[in-house]
Amino acid sequence: MLTVTNLDAYYGQFHVLKNVSIDVREGEVAVMLGPNGHGKSTLLKAICGLAERVAGTIKYEGREITGMPAEKLVNQGVIYIAENRELFPHMTVLENLKLGAYSKNARQHEKRNLEKVFRLFPRLAERRRQLASTMSGGEARMLAIARGLMSNADFLCVDEPSLGLQPNLRIEVFNIIQEVNRQGKTILLVEQNIPQITEMADKLYVLEEGRITFQGDRSEALSNDHLKEIFLGM
Amino acid sequence: MLIELIDVFISGLTNGSVYALMAVGLTLVYGVSKAFNFAYGSFFSMGGYLAWLLLVGLGLMGGYVIIFIIAIPVLLAVGYGVERAIVAPLRKRSDWEVKVMMITLGLALLLDNAYQVGFGARMKSLPTMVEGAMIMGDVVLSYQDMVIFVLSIGGIVCFRWILNNTRIGMAVRAVAQNPAGAQIVGIPKDVIFGATFAISTVMVGVGGILLSQKYFVSPTGGWDILVKSWVITAFGGMGSIRGSLYAAFILGMLEAFVGWIFGMTWVLFAMFGVLLIILAVRPQGLLGKWG
Amino acid sequence: MAVIMAVIYGIVGVMPIFVGDVRFIMHILIMCLIWAVVAACWDLIMGFAGIFSFGQVAFFVMGAYGSAILASRLHITPILAMVLSGGITAAIGVLVGLPCLRLKGAYIALVTFAVHMILEPFLKGDMGRFLGTGGSRGILTIPPIELFEVTFSSAAPVPFFYLTLLLSILCTVIILIVIKSYWGTAFLALKDSEDFAMSLGVSAFKYKLMVFALTSFLTGMIGGFYGHYVGMLSTRMLGIDLFVTLMIMLVIGGIGQYPGAILGAFITVSLNEMLAPLGTYRPLTLGALVVVLVLLLPDGVIGLIRKVSGDEAEGAGVSRY
Repeated sequence: MLTVTNLDAYYGQFHVLKNVSIDVREGEVAVMLGPNGHGKSTLLKAICGLAERVAGTIKYEGREITGMPAEKLVNQGVIYIAENRELFPHMTVLENLKLGAYSKNARQHEKRNLEKVFRLFPRLAERRRQLASTMSGGEARMLAIARGLMSNADFLCVDEPSLGLQPNLRIEVFNIIQEVNRQGKTILLVEQNIPQITEMADKLYVLEEGRITFQGDRSEALSNDHLKEIFLGM
Repeated sequence: MLIELIDVFISGLTNGSVYALMAVGLTLVYGVSKAFNFAYGSFFSMGGYLAWLLLVGLGLMGGYVIIFIIAIPVLLAVGYGVERAIVAPLRKRSDWEVKVMMITLGLALLLDNAYQVGFGARMKSLPTMVEGAMIMGDVVLSYQDMVIFVLSIGGIVCFRWILNNTRIGMAVRAVAQNPAGAQIVGIPKDVIFGATFAISTVMVGVGGILLSQKYFVSPTGGWDILVKSWVITAFGGMGSIRGSLYAAFILGMLEAFVGWIFGMTWVLFAMFGVLLIILAVRPQGLLGKWG
Repeated sequence: MAVIMAVIYGIVGVMPIFVGDVRFIMHILIMCLIWAVVAACWDLIMGFAGIFSFGQVAFFVMGAYGSAILASRLHITPILAMVLSGGITAAIGVLVGLPCLRLKGAYIALVTFAVHMILEPFLKGDMGRFLGTGGSRGILTIPPIELFEVTFSSAAPVPFFYLTLLLSILCTVIILIVIKSYWGTAFLALKDSEDFAMSLGVSAFKYKLMVFALTSFLTGMIGGFYGHYVGMLSTRMLGIDLFVTLMIMLVIGGIGQYPGAILGAFITVSLNEMLAPLGTYRPLTLGALVVVLVLLLPDGVIGLIRKVSGDEAEGAGVSRY
């Protein structure tokens, strides 16, 4: 569904990603692990048209999307979901969700998606009139995911959904993501080093110093001692 | 004495309403795109000259209704064109903020002198919008002032409604609050920047028509308006519409009363003094953010 | 930087050998040297310190009026009056800087430009007349500079030229030293990231205020010098065209591309003289010039030279796409 081939990305003078290639198939949850500052988020941003300078090719469903600006990418069916920095703080939950469906092909499904999202996140339905800036960390994370779902995209790029959350909230967020995946969305997820992550991953990548240093499915990951020790905390 | 006071009060109220309209336009562009437009006052004069050209120069019939029907699309197009042509290309540079100030200052000099070459250096007066007045005892309330007040406030109310209740309005607020977030959900940032610039040009241009027919229009008359709109915006809090509204009426009154008591030359000093005090006490202005 | 400055001043310094008896050209050269200081100050404050000050012309005019009044009313010798007037301008600069340096960019532009806007009604008004500004008529007789019993005036352009050259070099070298010093480094750090620089113990406010004081002092002083040179002053200088002309110097030279501003001043003053036949179309052309130059010459002449010679690392301000 999404293929990245020989991708290089730069941040200012820094060469952040070096020759990165990944391949995510439809219906999968692909997880990208790696230490902070080694380029995981940059990879997601490069895919979603938010990086400064990229070289290489990114293809989504056979169409080339390299360097396509984020506002156009939504219409292609790819959405970037950040932790919670990208919400609109002085707007209500409902307004945030409605704006999530701003893109052309999301607009016609707005009603249906809103119902779906409220079923998935009953908390957000209760708080639809609350301002986004007054929500707790966990709720804001839920709102970010919900807003991403409103775009009607089939491919979700989720950036560190567990960042700064308590363990029990993390599990909740992961459960939601799994549920979203079961409902038919393909997911590329970036995380630091979370033990629970392997349970949901169909495929794992490890990104260190801008290069892919490991790739494989769940069982391969679990049999890799280096990986187990460093990233999965086992 | 009391009658004079009421006259001064009415004058402050009328001018304040137009200042509010123009300050909202300025705060809109700054709030959404952080661009500061030094040619804002020149767009004020543009409105005045446009009306003069149509009414006196071309002798168009149909009065001010026709003027607004023609002027608003023209101003929209000018605003959008200016944004796309000279502001947008600067945005990708890290020092774009100061570059935008410089380029719009250059544009202001260009426009002011174009007016001077085209219309002459002397001020021009326009026919009044409506004649007559409502007389209540000793108090005279001219229809002109009433029309100015209603149109300005109507414009602001209309704008606020659009901002709060329509899809495009929501997109504008979204870009103001979080440009990256807006981009992610598919809002074309550049179009919104252009559109807000165009709307602000209409607001100040219409302000120019409203005030020019009450006073006059001159090539450099816009500078006064630029500074006043600016002071009001800073006073009310950059990016706050409600703040601009309050500030415009406070400063409109200040202008009317200082002008009445000490003379018009003192108005600018008084405004500057108020600005310094406000910024020292409350740097973010009366009200923060978009409300 | 120092090399480029030496070349510029070197070339200008030998000019009188060739054109010393052409009074008109000597006048242009003297104006170039004066405006070079004003533009260099603006570059220091805006290009390096990152303060959007739009009061540069206002400080220049304040200095000019101040020195003229001190010399003609209080009979202070012009050189001393210039320095005193620079001091007064610096004090006003600090007064303006105190409230607005804690604010964000656009607000500083607002307050400083407001100073520019209210200076004209002030100088023309009752308060100005009380101080001796001559109201809308201006000051018509300003004593020339006297040094060691020698009178420097526009009547003898060559000696006056060398006096101006000396003063111009002195001022711009001070600015160069500031840019090269710890201050300059601190400013570059502040521009990159205010938080980061503060964590290193760089007090943004203190440095900004100091730079505000220094530039308004130098600008005020050179303004005084200008007044003694031309012998008369009026508020016409506060028109937007002069402001924009100064801006063109910076745009041509390149913001933050010191000593580009000096080069920009030389080019702009000469260019402006060449545009004189345009008459009423001259300010219109200047405005158009700004629009075109800001778009086409983003880092000025110096930036262009650096880019052509492949030294791109120093070309400041361009974000990479």
